Amino acid sequence: MTDSSPPILRINALTKTFDDFTALHGINLNVRDGEFLAIVGPSGSGKTTLIRILVGMDEPSDGAVWLRGTRIDVVPANKRPTCMVFQSLALFPHRSVGQNIEFPLKLRGVAPAERKARALELLDTLRLPRDYYSKRIQQCSGGEKQRVALARALAFDPEILFFDEPLSALDYRLRKTLEKELKDLHRRTGKTFIYITHSLEEAMVMSDRIAIMKAGRFEQIAPAEEIYARPVSKFVAEFMGEVNFFDLVKGAAPGVALSAAASAALAGQTGTLTIRPESLRKLTAEGVADLSFEGIVTAEYLLGSRIQYRMTLATGQEMIVEVLRENAVEGGIGAALRVGCDLSAAHLIAEAADAAA
Amino acid sequence: MKTSRLSTALLIAYGIAILGFLYLPLVSVGLASISKARYLSFPIRKYAFGWYEDALTSDTVRDLLVISLKVAGVVTVASMVIGFFGALAFARYNWRFRKTYQKLILLPIFFPQTVLGLALLMWFNALGVVPSWKTAIIAHLVWIAPIATLVVSIRAFSFDAALEEAARDMGANQWQTLREVTIPLLMPGVTSAGLFAFLLSWGNFPLSLFSTGADSTLPEWLFAKMVSGYSPLVPTVGMLTVATSAVLVFGGLILAWAIRRLRPES
Ligand SMILES: Nc1ncnc2c1ncn2[C@@H]1O[C@H](COP(=O)(O)OP(=O)(O)OP(=O)(O)O)[C@@H](O)[C@H]1O
Ligand SMILES: [Mg+2]
Repeated sequence: MTDSSPPILRINALTKTFDDFTALHGINLNVRDGEFLAIVGPSGSGKTTLIRILVGMDEPSDGAVWLRGTRIDVVPANKRPTCMVFQSLALFPHRSVGQNIEFPLKLRGVAPAERKARALELLDTLRLPRDYYSKRIQQCSGGEKQRVALARALAFDPEILFFDEPLSALDYRLRKTLEKELKDLHRRTGKTFIYITHSLEEAMVMSDRIAIMKAGRFEQIAPAEEIYARPVSKFVAEFMGEVNFFDLVKGAAPGVALSAAASAALAGQTGTLTIRPESLRKLTAEGVADLSFEGIVTAEYLLGSRIQYRMTLATGQEMIVEVLRENAVEGGIGAALRVGCDLSAAHLIAEAADAAA
Repeated sequence: MKTSRLSTALLIAYGIAILGFLYLPLVSVGLASISKARYLSFPIRKYAFGWYEDALTSDTVRDLLVISLKVAGVVTVASMVIGFFGALAFARYNWRFRKTYQKLILLPIFFPQTVLGLALLMWFNALGVVPSWKTAIIAHLVWIAPIATLVVSIRAFSFDAALEEAARDMGANQWQTLREVTIPLLMPGVTSAGLFAFLLSWGNFPLSLFSTGADSTLPEWLFAKMVSGYSPLVPTVGMLTVATSAVLVFGGLILAWAIRRLRPES
């Protein structure tokens, strides 16, 4: 991070142990003011554990958390200027929509008239009709409940807003709509959002940076494009979508034909070459590329405007290739295929990085 | 699936038979209470409502009623309070001896009430307490409070712990969380627990028998009069007892319904 402004949230060596199981292994993280940070990772990687500690619902076993320079891991949840939107939303079923939104204001002793005005304002912000104010929670649809939960969190006016997979229970179309609205809301409010999700797609649409979590550690924290183009480990590379791996030992990679320039560049290096299926292009018999591969097509899948091929190389390794429809392979399954890419499209994960993960 | 006409008829007949089996005894008590004869006999030859007048003006009956109401009233309120906090400990909060507590609290329910009553009587004697309606309250509570706790616990188990966490997250302290979230959400459970507690105490015989000492509750008196000194006042008072329970249950249901109707505005 080159940003010179101090981070709004600083997490230092945060560890959480349950009996004999360590859910978080000394996590470090800085979050910029106004950032939209997505935390993604497989089930059980510790995302919820982390966020619960950050809002104060659980205590860390070790480490510290600072918010704008104040240490907050020792502050009780109800005294922290943070707020969380739960997966279950946790809307109060015995209160109306308006009362739910006003809840944090009521706790602060804001006068009823003022509370109501603010709640109505927030209904506008979340594009809910004003007459929802007196509706019961049970009468709201899934997407409407989502918005009420957001309005309530905004009424609290937190320094940082946390989300734990808030959209996972909704259908695809509604999720897409709300993703955009959330991104919009983030822009309009300028607040810091920290957002947990299972879905990488969701993270890519909304976030400024993505933190990829695995078994209680961050594997990589960077903007989506960077994680995609330069993953630090095979785990991250695979997590970001389909990818081909080739072992590189002292400059030689079985199954990969290297041009003279590529050979020189990779000389003596050891690690894993990662190549995305869509960065490969079809080569003619005489065509040249920094890296080239030859094999027999074993399967083809239509993906809208693109076609994906599986091919088996002479080494027996399977490879995934994706090309535009107009470049379809004649003969399809069983045909010989030669593909290649530039060295810049092949990212090298050095040995040490993956071993450490 | 469509049921045939025959099976429908059989089902209805079965239902009527069950209801008859359950309620005919009550009807016969009702009829006995308005019989003019001094002894319990069927068929009833002459009807009279004089026994109700007698019952309502009798000092004995008034004393019985007052004692039964005092016992049941205190037991109800105490059960609601104990049930509420007991359920929090039973179902909401994780603490060290929770498992043990969950088992211990169920224990009194498994004791036959006569055994429990006897044990308590011996205990009162050992402590040098003279049994009266006050000790009866203790005896009833030993048995009824666990039931009330279970009734509230069912409610407590069914609500999302995230609701309390959310309240806290938005700045509520412990007391505000209790007032704004926990109590309103557990209230239906507490109300049912209260109704149960009243009915169980109001109709309880075995525990009262051992623990009231010189005082007497309505069920005790009914039993004593059946054993010796029967008069039509017995079924009359019996019917009045049932009527009180019924009024209370329906009153409670109507109240709960009214509260639910009024809530969105509050
Ligand atoms: N109270 C607890 N006691 C013991 N282990 C726990 C507790 N809470 C979480 N864990 C363990 O910690 C690990 C991380 O859990 P966590 O809920 O943070 O995962 P997650 O990344 O949020 O997963 P998901 O995507 O499925 O929500 C899991 O292996 C879980 O079993
Ligand atoms: Mg989780």
